Amino acid sequence: MEKPRRTYRFKRIDTHNRKSIGIIVLVVILLLVPAVVHSPYYIHLLIMVGINAALAMTFIFLLRVGLINLSIAAFWGIGAYASAMLTMRLNLPFWLALPAATIITGIVALIVGLLLCRNSGFGFIIPTLAFASVVVLVFGTFDVFGGYVGIVNIPHPEPIVIPLLPLIEFTSKTPYYYLMLFLVAVVVTAFSAFYSASTGRAWRAIGLSSSLAESLGINLFRYRLTAFIIASAVCGLMGSFYAHYYSALVPITFTPFPKTIYCHIFAILGGIAFPFAGPAVGAFILTLTPEFLRIVGEIEPILTGLLVIVLVLFAPGGILGLLSSRQQVAHPSESIDRIGKWIKASLPTSRTDRENRK
Amino acid sequence: MPVSIIIQLIVDGLAMGLVYVLLASGFNLIMTVPKVLFIAYGEFYMLGAYVLWGLMFLGDVPFFPALCAATLATAILGGIVYRLIFQRIQYMEQQFLTNIIAALALSMIIAQAALLAFGTEARGMPSIFPGIVNIGGITISVEKIVLVALTLAVLIGLNIFLQKTNSGRAMRAVSFNADVAALQGVSANMTCLATMAVGCGLAGFAGGLMAPVFALSPGMGAITIFVLFVVMLGGIGSMVGAILAGLILGMTLSFGQFFIGSGLSQILFFVVIFIILYFRPGGLLGKAEADIPI
Repeated sequence: MEKPRRTYRFKRIDTHNRKSIGIIVLVVILLLVPAVVHSPYYIHLLIMVGINAALAMTFIFLLRVGLINLSIAAFWGIGAYASAMLTMRLNLPFWLALPAATIITGIVALIVGLLLCRNSGFGFIIPTLAFASVVVLVFGTFDVFGGYVGIVNIPHPEPIVIPLLPLIEFTSKTPYYYLMLFLVAVVVTAFSAFYSASTGRAWRAIGLSSSLAESLGINLFRYRLTAFIIASAVCGLMGSFYAHYYSALVPITFTPFPKTIYCHIFAILGGIAFPFAGPAVGAFILTLTPEFLRIVGEIEPILTGLLVIVLVLFAPGGILGLLSSRQQVAHPSESIDRIGKWIKASLPTSRTDRENRK
Repeated sequence: MPVSIIIQLIVDGLAMGLVYVLLASGFNLIMTVPKVLFIAYGEFYMLGAYVLWGLMFLGDVPFFPALCAATLATAILGGIVYRLIFQRIQYMEQQFLTNIIAALALSMIIAQAALLAFGTEARGMPSIFPGIVNIGGITISVEKIVLVALTLAVLIGLNIFLQKTNSGRAMRAVSFNADVAALQGVSANMTCLATMAVGCGLAGFAGGLMAPVFALSPGMGAITIFVLFVVMLGGIGSMVGAILAGLILGMTLSFGQFFIGSGLSQILFFVVIFIILYFRPGGLLGKAEADIPI
């Protein structure tokens, strides 16, 4: 009776160890990158990879609940504009504006989510798209937000003192790189904590079968709303960082096409079954490829588009799905399949079919 | 507020809305038969406009043959694209999202190719049917009348094609259930290919029709987002719904532009969509199943 349990424990600890060693090695490599890469341009690209990866993680986060979110870029923009407004109009320091912008984005998501999260499927997808378009138009139309010209000269973060380290001033790209790593680490930690908590299990149940989850006593609306607020607040956090890093904002950056769809592409090309590694790999490849293809000049978007099509046609499980030997039984891909099937089923059919289904 | 201005605004809205209806019916076909959310649709609209422009100004072809050529060219391109890309995705897992991404990549390719071929600057076209008609103090340009008449003719023709011909019946059968259609001897692949060609042809036709009215630019493809809203607002697969939604959009834009300016009128339209889709997630005339949770 004792034996099988023991082997199980042993195996579990073993895989756990291997995984944590891998994570430690990865973190050390990421921390050492600025020591090897000196060009500010490549550091800039890596910072953008980090932002994109975090945004793509929020896509998978909501996909697990069974929602396809088209307002990622909009909430990213809300965070960025909120932070810019707070520092420029109210003269708040960046270190207060960062959490404040996150909270403001969360509050906006709460208000919008109260309307949106009652529906799912197209009833959720298209209103998020409408909301995202409204956000960009509002930023562009009203002069408070600088119009379509945008905002420039957003202040850089104030220097901070960390014990045992010299004074950190945000004059070069390297401090931003470390700040980005820290924020992404916070996001990954928070998301993985949620995934393994009871809330995460409820979300997973909703993503697999919402009617079954509802029958087990899970309040669909409340859980969807929570997930929507958390995902949007993370977008706002990355937006606030982006605003102060880039120090200029233009409304066009935050349009749902192509920015939000790009976030979806990052996640899907990396592999939907991998909630953290997938977006990171996808964002890494797709942010760097266009830059390296820039040598060929203006036909770069054509080559990138061809690359995406080839990847989609020949690596349907994503790049990581292609590489890993693990069987793809993880649930997010299942839930995507489910969404696809459901959308197929919700497309118009003849009356007899509908009656049969009832 | 003089009555004549209101009537002119209505005619403007009608002309603009009907073109959206045309685009939405093509999008609807692609959405219901091959079941692709075809985001690259707007690029075909842009290509149609440029083919017409190229033929008329570089080849000295008259308007109607050029319009037919634009329709044909986009239809053939749509068929090729379906054969090369989307037909392979039809048998994949995660078909819905994969389709969206392939379509987006396609739109990137076409938009950039158009940018390289035609340049960034907007190109105007002289009016094909100059002149205005004066009916009881209300002036309407002949161009708008021709536009409305042609659009209505094509919409009626499309409806007859879908309801009365064998190819149209095959399309409806495949959209109902591809497997059952195959049992009746309807090839799902060929039907989807034909639908894609018809849908893209409609986009090219609309583009050619709008070319003399609006300026041409490679950014015209961004119209997809409005087409998407019209389709969703009307309800997927519903022709009458598309007509209703297209007219709502046209009227909102034309009246809004006159009274509150273009930016605010677009915000107004999105708010209207937001409210309608909140209460009817399936669209105005959509199916009630759309609010079944995933």
